[in-house]
Amino acid sequence: MAELTSFSFHPGTSLLHKLDVRFKLLFLILISLISLGGGLTGLVILSTLLTAVVIHSRLPLKSALREFRLFLIFLLLVLGARMLTVPGAALIEIQSIAITRPGLISGALICWRMVIIALLGFLFVFSTRSSEIKAAVQWFLKPAAFIPAKRVATMMGLIARFIPAILNQARETAEAQRARCVENRKNPLYRLIQIGAPLIRRTFEQADRLTVAMEARCYSENRTDPALSATRLDWIALLIILIICAWILSI
Amino acid sequence: MDIIEIEKLSHRFSDGTLGLDRLNLKIQAGAFVVIAGPNGSGKTTLIRHLNGLLLPTEGCVKVAGVSVQKDLMRARRLVGMMFQDADSQIVGETVYQDVAFGPENLRLDHDQIHERVASAVDAVGLQDFMEQRPHLLSGGEKRRLAIAGILAMEPRVIAFDEPFASLDYPGVKQVLSQILTLHQAGHTILVITHDLEKVFAHAQRLIVMQKGKIVRDGVPADIVSDIETFGVRAPCASYLGMEVRSWLN
Repeated sequence: MAELTSFSFHPGTSLLHKLDVRFKLLFLILISLISLGGGLTGLVILSTLLTAVVIHSRLPLKSALREFRLFLIFLLLVLGARMLTVPGAALIEIQSIAITRPGLISGALICWRMVIIALLGFLFVFSTRSSEIKAAVQWFLKPAAFIPAKRVATMMGLIARFIPAILNQARETAEAQRARCVENRKNPLYRLIQIGAPLIRRTFEQADRLTVAMEARCYSENRTDPALSATRLDWIALLIILIICAWILSI
Repeated sequence: MDIIEIEKLSHRFSDGTLGLDRLNLKIQAGAFVVIAGPNGSGKTTLIRHLNGLLLPTEGCVKVAGVSVQKDLMRARRLVGMMFQDADSQIVGETVYQDVAFGPENLRLDHDQIHERVASAVDAVGLQDFMEQRPHLLSGGEKRRLAIAGILAMEPRVIAFDEPFASLDYPGVKQVLSQILTLHQAGHTILVITHDLEKVFAHAQRLIVMQKGKIVRDGVPADIVSDIETFGVRAPCASYLGMEVRSWLN
C-alpha cells in the first residue's frame, strides 16, 4: 500500500467537508485578506478559529508539518531577514550585526500570517475534491466573459490533482537517494540538483501517463461537473465568518 | 462479426523507429485474444491504435465498422483500456470519483452517472470501498478499480496491458477471474502480456508479435511449440506435454 501525502483530498464527514466549495473558496480568500491586515489580537482570534477547525476536521497535523518543512525553513529565513533589517532598539548586538525588537515582532507577525494562509490552503485541499475546485472556479469566472472559465478551471483542477502526485514523487526520489547515502554529501546545492533533475523528469513522465489515461477515458473541458448547492449550513458559516472578520477589522 | 479490423497498419515514432509494420488483423466480437511478444515488439503500440491514443502513420483501424480516426470519442467509448501501471490510471480522489470520471466525460446526467458507477463498482466487488482513497487500495484492488472505471463507460472491447504485472498470487487470481467474468458477459477481451503462464488456459486465440509484425496467430495449443524463438516463454506444463491448467483451479 502507498503512503500518501497529506496535502490531498481526504474523504470525511466534518463540517468543513460538508460545506459548499464556493463558500469554502470565499472563506479562504476572506480570511487570508483579513489575516494580512490583522494585528496581534486578530491573529489570535483567527488562530483559535483555525485550531478548532483543524481539530474538528481531523487534519493530520504531524504529517502536514512534515510536508511543510521546507516552508518552515522559508519562514525562518523571513524571520531572520526581518530581525536583521528592520531598524530599532537592538535586542542582541554582535559586532555590527543587530537583532532588533521591532524586527523580531514584525517578522513573527509576518510568519504567523503566512502560517495561517498556508493552513487555510491545506484545510481547503484536505476537504475539497479537485473536481469541486474546478466547478467552483468555473462558477466564479462565469460572469467574466473575457476569461475562458472552463479552461482556467480545468487547469486549476489539474494542478490540485498534481500537487500531491509531485510531493509523493519527491518523497520517493528522496528516499531512493537516502538509501544510497546522499546524506554523506553535505553540499546542499549538490543535493538539490541530484533530487531536482530526476524529480522533474519523473513528474513529466507521470504527467504523460496520466494524460494518456485521461484521454483514453474521453477527458475534455466539457464534462458533467459536480452539482453545487448551497445549504443553510453554508449561509450560517458565511454569517459567522463575516462577523468574525468585521470584529477583527474593528479591533 | 469482426469488431476490430486493422489493415496495413504502420506506425513510425517521432524518432524514426518503426513501431508497427504493415500489420493486418481482424478480431471477432466476443473473442478472448492474447497478444504476446517481447518488450518493444509493438504490443502496446498496437492496442493504443484501437482507441486513437496513437494514430496510424499508414493504414486503417476500424472499430465496429467505423474508422477510429473519423470518430475518436466513439472509439474510446467502445474500447476500454487498462494500462500496465494501474496507479497512473487513477484520476479520482475516491473510488466513486474515479469510476465516475469516464461517465462525467461522456456528459451523462448525475443520475445516470450514479447508476453506472454503482453497477461498475458492484461488478468488480468494490462496493464497500466507495469513499476509500484509491491509492490506499492493494495492487489487485487497484486493477479492479481500473476495470470498474472502464466498465462505467460501457465498452464492447476491453484491452488489458500487462494486467498481472507486479501482482501477488491472490491479486493475479482476482484480476484473472474478473477478466473471465467480463468475457462471459460478452465483452471482447484483448490481453497483452509477455508472461503467458497466467492466461494461456483461457485464451481462444494467441497472437505473437515481433518487431512490429505478427509472426504467429492461431489457437494457443497449436502455436506454442516454437513460441520461444520469438522471445516469449512457453507455459511450464507445455514442456512436459501436459495440458496448461488455469491459475484459478
